Amino acid sequence: MTPVAVSLTSLLSFSGLACLCLSMDRHGRTLFHGRPSRGRDGAFRVAGWLFIALAFAAAVATADWNFGPVQWLGSLTGAALIVVALMSYRPVWIRPAAIAALPLALATAFFV
Amino acid sequence: MTDSTKPNARRSQGRYRLMVAGRTLLAVFGGYALAAIATAFLSLTLPLDRSEAVAAATLASFAIMAGAVIWVFSARTLARAAIGLALPALCLGAGLWLALGSAVQPA
Amino acid sequence: MKQGFRQSMAWLHTWAGLVTGWVMFAVFVTGTATYYKSDISLWMRPELRAQSEYDVVRAAELGVAHLKAHAPKAMAWFVGVPQPDKPYIGAYWMVTPDGEFGKALLDPETGAPTEARATQGGDFFYRFHYELQMPPALGRWIVGICAMVLLVALISGIVTHRRIFADFFTFRRSRSAQRGWLDAHNVTGVLALPFHLMITYTGIVSLALMYMPWGMVSVYKGDELRFYVESGQMPAWRVAEGKPAEPAPLGPLIRRAQAEVSEPLEMVSINNPGDANATVVAVFEEPHGLAHRHPQIAFHAVTGELVERTGPLKPAAHAYTSFVGLHEAHFAGPALRILFFLSGLMGCAAIATGLVLWTVARAPKGVVRPAPGWRVVHALNIGTILGLPIGMAALFLANRLVPVEWAARESWEGGMFFGSWFIAALIPLARPHRRAWGEMSYAAALLFLAIPLVDWAQTGWRADFLGFNLTMVALALVFLFGARKLGRQQGAQIEAARTTGDLVRA
Repeated sequence: MTPVAVSLTSLLSFSGLACLCLSMDRHGRTLFHGRPSRGRDGAFRVAGWLFIALAFAAAVATADWNFGPVQWLGSLTGAALIVVALMSYRPVWIRPAAIAALPLALATAFFV
Repeated sequence: MTDSTKPNARRSQGRYRLMVAGRTLLAVFGGYALAAIATAFLSLTLPLDRSEAVAAATLASFAIMAGAVIWVFSARTLARAAIGLALPALCLGAGLWLALGSAVQPA
Repeated sequence: MKQGFRQSMAWLHTWAGLVTGWVMFAVFVTGTATYYKSDISLWMRPELRAQSEYDVVRAAELGVAHLKAHAPKAMAWFVGVPQPDKPYIGAYWMVTPDGEFGKALLDPETGAPTEARATQGGDFFYRFHYELQMPPALGRWIVGICAMVLLVALISGIVTHRRIFADFFTFRRSRSAQRGWLDAHNVTGVLALPFHLMITYTGIVSLALMYMPWGMVSVYKGDELRFYVESGQMPAWRVAEGKPAEPAPLGPLIRRAQAEVSEPLEMVSINNPGDANATVVAVFEEPHGLAHRHPQIAFHAVTGELVERTGPLKPAAHAYTSFVGLHEAHFAGPALRILFFLSGLMGCAAIATGLVLWTVARAPKGVVRPAPGWRVVHALNIGTILGLPIGMAALFLANRLVPVEWAARESWEGGMFFGSWFIAALIPLARPHRRAWGEMSYAAALLFLAIPLVDWAQTGWRADFLGFNLTMVALALVFLFGARKLGRQQGAQIEAARTTGDLVRA
């Protein structure tokens, strides 16, 4: 329930959703100029779901089964809002932000 | 909308409004009645402690009502919508009547 | 209704959303504000200073002493003990069973009425959230019916929106106005969909036994209070004997209760005070968990004998109270609370964009005069979406500007809220519909910007109010940004209208 735990879940959710967003044709095309690639989309999709699953695990580990799912859903909502905002105002930031969120998540994991 | 001055169109628009009003009334009162009967029936018959049965049935009641409203507005005709509400309501009502009877005179 | 399931659901979503949108917008905005109810209350009572610790037993004794002197004939007394976010003793008494209450706020040290200005504080929005500041029964039924319609609108909206996952991250602000509003409606609706469904259903469940009492009525047949007792939510009400008796000292009873429960004490209630069969109930804070459940221990007030303690909840009762607990989110710490607040704002935005979308999709093209129905919806939209925030800002300003010594000060604050809201709803009717959004948005921004300034002028710099005042500035910036956006969009529309008008005339 600490702010650190919520940040950890939110950072992982953000990376996950950003990957899912990049795996989609419409959004990927605006960022990766050129032809869409099956392999790249698939890799992003797998990574996206993986980080979202990790976020769920982190939420349940830090806030047990009672609050974990609540914290996970809440952080998914917040993270998705940031992805949408970046996508429509600063699309080029989304890849660096999604990458930067991972070491940050790792760092916060030590403080939980 | 543009040719609403033609008598035919006006009549069909009147019919449309009447149908909307009918469905709305059916959804509000029929949906509530069905949910209320279901809640009372489940509260008396769920195989739980009575306080538990009341809590569980009351929790579920609004989902029942929401389902009923969706049904009323999605059914092909008003008559079908009404029958679709009346049949389960009658069955549950009969069950409720029996349950209330058995609750008054424990066998 | 229409051909096909999806079409009929689209119709249902549109109209169910439109007819309840205004009420539900107000309910969502005030509900979202209620996540910070205690912060709002602290700001609105600047005379009170929070301490980190209180002697709650002494506070309870002081509260009871006050009630003994001022409400000896009441059916029940309730003493809320002071807490860091509630720096006063709340002394309440119940005159009749149907909920006629009296209240006094007392100083935690002396037990005398506090110096705090008469205000409802954050409770104003809280009460508005589920009663619209109307007579309780009427307001609760209106909110309940609208919430039920909103639940239907949510379900039909999910059915209507066929590309939930494909459009998950899509917000095309560069395309047409209608496309932008639709995307905004979808994004705010879909991203926080778990929250929207949860908050709507649990909100109805919070007052479920008022809306749907038939299960309880058919099982308990006239003894409905028994339900709360059997489901472990409160101890049994012990009937008065009719003979007066001197109660045992309160302090030792509370300490005995505290020894049994690890949570902090929240409230002490005394049923049938002064009677030979009076009951003292110690009520504790919610244990860590989702459920809205307060452990309670009841004592015979005269003999001091422990008569009842509420046990653990059974599964259905646990689910039931967890629904209520999820709605209120008392369990949420600061970080999770921000997420709840954000989700609440997205709910407000989803409703607002839905209402706007209705008018944008049906907007008069070019020089055509808008239809009367369209004008009414348009004016109600501005009057609600911008009028309510203007009313809220006016309430905060009134809290600082209405003199402390005025009689019926609370009503003045409420009057300012409704008065400004009403005026803000009327002005758009008199203005050209293309300009009204921008103008009212500027007005809201100015009012919110004025709040911290007036606060500094009236109460001086307070570090503990920094969060509140910064939030007001942030809200002002949101409205300023909105006003600029809307102004630009409307400028383009007016330009377009002028050119097409010229073409028509040419």
